Amino acid sequence: MLAKKILGIRNEALEKIRNSQGDLFELEKKYLGRKSEFVGILKTLKDLSPEEKKKIGELANKAKREIMEALEKKKKEIEMFSFDFESERIDVTMPGKKREYGHMHILSAVQKDIEDIFTSLGFEIADGPEIEIEHYNFDALNIPKDHPGRDMQDTFWLKKENGKAASDKKDGRSERTLLRTQTSPVQVRYMEKNTPPLKIIVPGRTFRNEATDASHEHTFNQFEALVVGTDVSVGNFKYIAQKFFSEFFGQKLSVRLRPGYFPFVEPGFEFDISCTVCSGEGCSSCKHTGWLEVGGCGMVNQNVFVSAGYPKNAYQGFAWGFGLERLAMMKYKISDARLFESGDLRFIRQF
Amino acid sequence: MRACLKAETCDLLDNFNYNFMKFSYNWLKELTDTKLSPEKLREIITLHAFEVEGLEAIGNDFPGVVVGKILEIAKHPNADKLQLTIVDIGKEKMHIVCGAKNISVGDMVPVATVGTRLPNGLEIKEAEIRGEKSFGMLCAKDELGLGTDHAGIFILDSQTKIGMPFGEYLDNRDSVLDIDILPNRAHDALSYVGMAREIIALEKYLVDRKREVFDYDYEGLKLDKKKSKKVKVEIEAGDLCSRYIAVFMENINVQESPMWIQNRLQVSGIRPVNNIVDATNYVMLELGQPLHAFDAREIDGGKIVVRRAKKGEKIAILDGSTKTLTEENLVIADEKKAVAIAGVMGGEHSGINADTTNIVLESANFNATSIRRTRTSLTMKTDASDRFEKEIDPNLAEKAMVRLVEIIEHIAGGEMEGAADVYPKAIKPWKIKLDVEYVNRLLGEEIPFKNITHILELLGMRISGKIPSITIEVPTFRIDLKTQEDLIEEIGRVFGYENIEPQPMAGNLIAPRINHERFFERKIKETLNGLGLDEVYNYSFYGEKDKSACKLEKIKHLELENPMNPDQQFMRVSLVPGILKNVRDNLKNYKNFSIFEVGRIYLPVGKALPEERKKITMAVILEQDKDGGTFFAAKGILDSLCSKIGITRIEFSEIDSSSDKMAFGLWHPTRRANVKAAGKNINIGYIGEINPFVLSQFKIAKRVVVAEIDLEQLAQSVEENKEFVSLRKYPTVMRDISMLVDKKIKAGEIREEIRRAGGEMVIDVELFDAFSKENKNSLAYHIEMGAADRTLESSEIDEMVRKILGDLEKKFAIVTRR
Repeated sequence: MLAKKILGIRNEALEKIRNSQGDLFELEKKYLGRKSEFVGILKTLKDLSPEEKKKIGELANKAKREIMEALEKKKKEIEMFSFDFESERIDVTMPGKKREYGHMHILSAVQKDIEDIFTSLGFEIADGPEIEIEHYNFDALNIPKDHPGRDMQDTFWLKKENGKAASDKKDGRSERTLLRTQTSPVQVRYMEKNTPPLKIIVPGRTFRNEATDASHEHTFNQFEALVVGTDVSVGNFKYIAQKFFSEFFGQKLSVRLRPGYFPFVEPGFEFDISCTVCSGEGCSSCKHTGWLEVGGCGMVNQNVFVSAGYPKNAYQGFAWGFGLERLAMMKYKISDARLFESGDLRFIRQF
Repeated sequence: MRACLKAETCDLLDNFNYNFMKFSYNWLKELTDTKLSPEKLREIITLHAFEVEGLEAIGNDFPGVVVGKILEIAKHPNADKLQLTIVDIGKEKMHIVCGAKNISVGDMVPVATVGTRLPNGLEIKEAEIRGEKSFGMLCAKDELGLGTDHAGIFILDSQTKIGMPFGEYLDNRDSVLDIDILPNRAHDALSYVGMAREIIALEKYLVDRKREVFDYDYEGLKLDKKKSKKVKVEIEAGDLCSRYIAVFMENINVQESPMWIQNRLQVSGIRPVNNIVDATNYVMLELGQPLHAFDAREIDGGKIVVRRAKKGEKIAILDGSTKTLTEENLVIADEKKAVAIAGVMGGEHSGINADTTNIVLESANFNATSIRRTRTSLTMKTDASDRFEKEIDPNLAEKAMVRLVEIIEHIAGGEMEGAADVYPKAIKPWKIKLDVEYVNRLLGEEIPFKNITHILELLGMRISGKIPSITIEVPTFRIDLKTQEDLIEEIGRVFGYENIEPQPMAGNLIAPRINHERFFERKIKETLNGLGLDEVYNYSFYGEKDKSACKLEKIKHLELENPMNPDQQFMRVSLVPGILKNVRDNLKNYKNFSIFEVGRIYLPVGKALPEERKKITMAVILEQDKDGGTFFAAKGILDSLCSKIGITRIEFSEIDSSSDKMAFGLWHPTRRANVKAAGKNINIGYIGEINPFVLSQFKIAKRVVVAEIDLEQLAQSVEENKEFVSLRKYPTVMRDISMLVDKKIKAGEIREEIRRAGGEMVIDVELFDAFSKENKNSLAYHIEMGAADRTLESSEIDEMVRKILGDLEKKFAIVTRR
């Protein structure tokens, strides 16, 4: 009887609250106020048997809680609906307030990408001097004096500190100084201090004494990879090259080797990757061949191992070099090599 | 050739002295009997031997042009300069009006029939010329697109069949392969026979194993050693000339070469001269041996002497110039004078003339290095020097001479009187031991033994011995094959690198060493980017102008021996000149910017190699600068950078050089500071405004603040292992103090004194207001105070503020402002 009454009040209250448009205070007073029927009922509880008291008490408390929750919920609802969001409307298409950030030079960014890929393949990053002695830049790389490979490398030579041309020899090594024409001297420097197995990459600045134009710079960056072990093969090179280029260009690429000649390797290759623009179908970027020529490489010449102090025919390995600028130009379709060293922010801020 | 950075414009990535040669497909086909199309040839040569850079179809079928015989010639009744002809073209006889005078009855000539469009665009129509009808045209060479010769009608071989299509007669339809010969193969493959050898081997191995090997009788080229009575040879400089063959020929007839020789020379880019010179060039193309022909009248004493030039000896050569020689240069001389620069170019006077009847032919072998030095010092480059400087097989000299004599007899008549061959140390085939297992280990592929030997045999090698170690005898025409690896390259390329499967490396799990310096450098770049600075790259050198503009003359610089230009003469000792140029250039487009470069400087230290140090140099430019605002913006960047990389405190101390008026330098004398990492007490570099007088030399009108920091010292200043400091449990209190101080007192000193006086209770000191008033500065600081173990009482705080102010008054005579 009492229970039924309580439930009746509860249901009525919940119904009213749900349909209310704003008279919540009145409703609260009506259903839960001191003079309300509900409170009146609660007051009669003391006359009941303990079992009844417990049962009805629980029921009443539950009903009260439900009414209060409903009131609270409705209150928030009404508050929200009555808020004038319209007056706070903004134009979301107006420009944002930019946080100024700087731009990494595109070559640094490309170098970083390359280093990251090679690091993940287990390579160490090695460095060497930009000013080299003739020994490391040429002789130790199996490019002796009067080798045809030499004069074409258009070397910048340095004057000796006293102003005269340098031509010193020390311990049978030519110490004539020059600006390194390639990063390969680091191969020998590194091998002199380390024993195989080894896997290194050498990114760095190199120089050639030649006039600049859209495709040529006297200052550019090379990238060298060297892997030496007891059974490193051409097949391994193809694997690493394919992995690297696919990662770098973010697409599956094939690598093609053709016979090439560099004195510090034998066999030597020139290597092409399938065209990154047309995936090998043939387009103007690859001059309709489906291939882009990216670098020179080969199996390290045994004479180079000997220069580095290794016994002849104890090790085998591959060496591989390419130009950072060339890769950056391919990947980002940059048309003029001179922009890299221009310091022009209109260029730098594009990347 | 140069290192090319751009794939689209330039194929050659590197530059080891390649030689290009244009090869006629027809000629190669004659030597190889190849069944492959020019396109297919291009593909297999590129993949297995040399890059074929270009493939071009040439020649013309000349539709409508036929061979005709002149039957009659008559004067034109109305024009003195014209003639009327009747020409038989087989199926009919035609009347044609002609202007040229070089024709006579019976001549065979090319006739363009009505309706023909000639290569020069002219369309042949039925015409009436001064009242006489003409039904075609007799053609001169230029009208057929065969050069520029307009001297007269092109008179053809008298044995030609009447009515034959002219295209068939000329037979100049061909494809030209432009092939990039690797420098270590110039000695054999810079020739048709060498290229033919490649094609035969590749075609047989890759395309048709049953194919007959087409035989060019190379081994059969043996010179008739009948001793000449008219020419003798003496090699004085034996170290520079390993062989010299001279042949004396008599009664030759110098004239134009037959068409087929001229065509072949032209395809390969050589201009026909006369049949003797053409024959030498033809054989050079065929076999790769440079050859020379002398007019025997000009060889005094009938004696060829191969000797070093005398110092200052002069020679007029075939290109019309006169060269002065040194003892470094090798010459071919007679008893009295030099008649040629050996291996480079012949002398003008001893050349072949129209009236030459007796000749001395030369086929020789000169030292490659000597030829290279000579042609470099004379700044010349010829087809002959290109070949000699790469070294060629001395045995080739004899084979080439046999062919030369044969061809001259054929096209110029005459006969060989005799020969002189000086060849003191004959070169014989050599042997290389080859470990067959090593072949596959290096290539990373399982090539069957029989394929390995098959490839080597196809390339002309003889094999003996048993697996796994076999012995390979190398023919002398393959000078480049000296080691096992050289042979492995031959096997690999013919087998096909495309047939080698990519293989992951058998892993050893040693983790790579980490290049900490590189990662530190990256972190700096990334941090500076985050702080709004753009990264630039500059050249490693600058010129006298920049050096003096930046007041760097007093610092010792390394100097290039052969700079591109004076602006790139000195190796940089500072990155500032480059950065200032960037500032100047970018001010054209931007008002507000900050840039940095991380790069090496080169400091001479009295050893072979200089010290290379990496510097981080930054420049800050603000649109508006007030009271050194740019300086403080740059200083703030340094502060943030250091804090990010783990240097907790850096100190800036003034370097004042204003008193020394003579020491006018790169920096603004009163706006410059030394930067020190306080924790480890290491000087890391400088920050300062660039002296406005320096800036004016760069035409920069703004203030520019530059910091130059040493990367290595910065790295050393990083405090290892940050340690956690417990979060404060008790609230801190902020008090402000404000004071007037003498201008000589530095804000930094005040700050240090507040910290000292406050001891542990002072947590932070921040200058929040500063301005100048007469000779005083007004400074105001927030001081944050607190204790680790309790909330400070306000009496404690008041007392501490009094102490701080009291100490400041005592030390710096400040006046507290209230």
